[in-house]
Order: sequence, then structure tokens, then C-alpha cells
Amino acid sequence: MAVGYRDYYETLGVPRDASNEEIRKAYRKLARENHPDVNKDPGAEDRFKEVSEAYEVLRDEEKRAKYDRLGSNWRRGDDVSGAAGVDPRDFDFDFGNGGGGTRFDFGGGGGDFSDLFEGLFRGRRSGGGFGGGFSTRGGDHEASLELSLEEAARGGRKKITLGDGRDYDVNIPAGVRDGQRIRLAGEGSQGVGGGPPGDLFLRVRIRPHPRFRREGDDLYTDLPVTPSEAALGADVPVRKLDGDTVRLKVPAGSSSGRKLRLRGQGMPGGDLYATVMIHVPKTLSKEERVAYERLAEVSGFDPRSERR
Amino acid sequence: MTATALAVIELEVVAREAGLHPEVCERLMRLGLLDGPPFADDAASQLARAARLRRDLGLGWSGAVFACELLRRIDDLEAQVRRYNSEG
Repeated sequence: MAVGYRDYYETLGVPRDASNEEIRKAYRKLARENHPDVNKDPGAEDRFKEVSEAYEVLRDEEKRAKYDRLGSNWRRGDDVSGAAGVDPRDFDFDFGNGGGGTRFDFGGGGGDFSDLFEGLFRGRRSGGGFGGGFSTRGGDHEASLELSLEEAARGGRKKITLGDGRDYDVNIPAGVRDGQRIRLAGEGSQGVGGGPPGDLFLRVRIRPHPRFRREGDDLYTDLPVTPSEAALGADVPVRKLDGDTVRLKVPAGSSSGRKLRLRGQGMPGGDLYATVMIHVPKTLSKEERVAYERLAEVSGFDPRSERR
Repeated sequence: MTATALAVIELEVVAREAGLHPEVCERLMRLGLLDGPPFADDAASQLARAARLRRDLGLGWSGAVFACELLRRIDDLEAQVRRYNSEG
């Protein structure tokens, strides 16, 4: 069996004559930087495992001494499973067997350890020296789930494929909010020693909508009206998020900014607010110009006076 | 597979999911890590995270709960920044 070596000193960035205190300090710093609960970088988990494995060995004087003895005989990439004077069972990794406590709980069981560690474990196991008894829950994973506002409002099932190729049929709660997490129980890393698997969390990201703005469970949309509709009142169509159209009564004397509520037409549990926006034509026909000029002559309305 | 956000009701259930002893979970609750019952659907993962941080970073229980709170705030802030950037 090929065993790939790792330079644990190099992993922790400490010299070979580093004191226990130096090793602990280096481990703490690297663990803080790369802990998967702290660092969302995809490579952080692997770096954390390497750092933890190195610390697991170097923090223990006996293990470190044996590793140093082995280390003086190896070169990177060597197969030392049969190297003279090296017996894997000579390693006393009491990993998970009480003592200082096990440090790994991310990923799936033995497959997460280095070849070196794996080989040594198998040696111990075949010799009957590796005891179980420790189990812990697998780590949680998080992925992004991008939804349209319509999908968020509707909810229901959605098929997704994650970057690693796994497919899921996710039940999206109707009215889900941006930033909310959907839990896929048991879809995180496998547990260790028979422990339960972790969860996969999908963090919802809702794409901005060109016509609707969301505030809580309410939706807001602009309602363009003509000056005469705003002044005289009108019954105008409003398109809802689901694409259907409803008629909305614009009261006479509605200025831009007036909000008209369509109860129960927002996100689930919310309302739709249509904000009156008075639009004027960029160009006027001859008749329109005459009419506006006549209106200006007869109208005593001064919108600036309301501000005084 | 199908998954739904499930409300976990019993502390023992949450503790089992988190791989922790119920007394440890009670202690973390007293330190303010989470409220319940009923528990949020991610209660087990919050407890497990606190336990991992305590063990892996050499923190005390209070420090682990504090770290979890800071991480939660960072998550919230990052979500706000994403929203801000997508709206801008």
C-alpha cells in the first residue's frame, strides 16, 4: 500500500525544533483561519483537516518522537509502508480513543485522513489495537439557491443540481425570504464513527425583479397613469406578480406617490401596493396642446403652494 | 430526495442530532445560544457548531457561543451586502 507522507511541521509552519507552545500557537492561528465554520472558502475544510492532523501528531510528545524518527527516513512521495525499521503498528495514534479528544469531525470517516494516517490506522486496526467508541455528527454544508421573485412567492418543489453533481428535489416554502436557509437534513458530511450526518443548508438568494420590489411580505409596483386619469379618477389594469391582471380604481385627485393597496396580492400573507406615477406625453398633438393651454388658463391649482 | 424545514421539538432530539449530551445542550441554551422549545430547524447545527468551535479552537463554552453570535452577525451582514450589491 502506497503511503504518501506529509510534513506536519511544514503544514503548521513551524521549525522541527519548535516548542509545544509554538506548535499550539501555530495550530490555533491556522485553525481559526481555516475552520470551516469560520471560513466559507471551499478549500478551507481540507486545509483545516491537514492542520488538525498535523497538530494531532505534533502536540503529543510520544507521537511526535515517533513521527520524527520516521520522518528522517522519508522523502516526499516515497512509499514507506515497507521501509526498513518502520512498522505502522509502532505508531500509537489513539485517535478518538479518549485522551486529548478527537479533532476531526468534518467529512466522511476515514476517507478524510491523509494516506499516511489511513495507512497507519489500518495497521492498527488489523492488529486489533484501534478501538472505536467515538462518534460525532458530520459537518454542515451550505450552498446558494437562486430564485426568481415568482418562485419565492409560489413555493413548491424545485429540482436543483449542486456543483458536485448531486440532484435534489427541494421543497421551497411559499414566501421564502432572501437570505433564509432551507435545511436538507442529513445531506452534509457523513458522521464519524456512526454519528449522524450533517445538514446541507441552501441559502436563498432572490433575484431582483424589474417591476416589483419586496418589503417583508408586501410588494410594491409602479402604476403609470395619465394626468387626466389622476385628476378625474379611473379604473386601470394592474399586473400582479403571477401575471394576472386586476382592475384598480384610481381615486380622483391622486398625485404621484399615492399608494393604492391590493389586499392579499403580495407575497403570501402580504399586500400589493401600486404607487401612482403620473406620466405626461413627451410630445403633444395640436389638440392636446390646445387642451392643456386651456387647462392652464382655467386652473387655479398651484402644487408649489402646498409646500409653503 | 425531498427536504423540508422541520421544526424540532424535543431537546433530546436536537441533542441527538447535534451529537451532544442533552445537558451540554441545556448549558448552551443557558448561555443564550438558542431559544426553545420549540427549536428552530437549524438548532442542531448551531449546537454542533458551538461544540466544534470550542474543541477545535480551544475556546470555552462562553467563547464558543460568542463566536457563534459573531459568525451569525457576519452571515447577516454578508447577506445585506449581497442584497445591496444586487440592487445597486
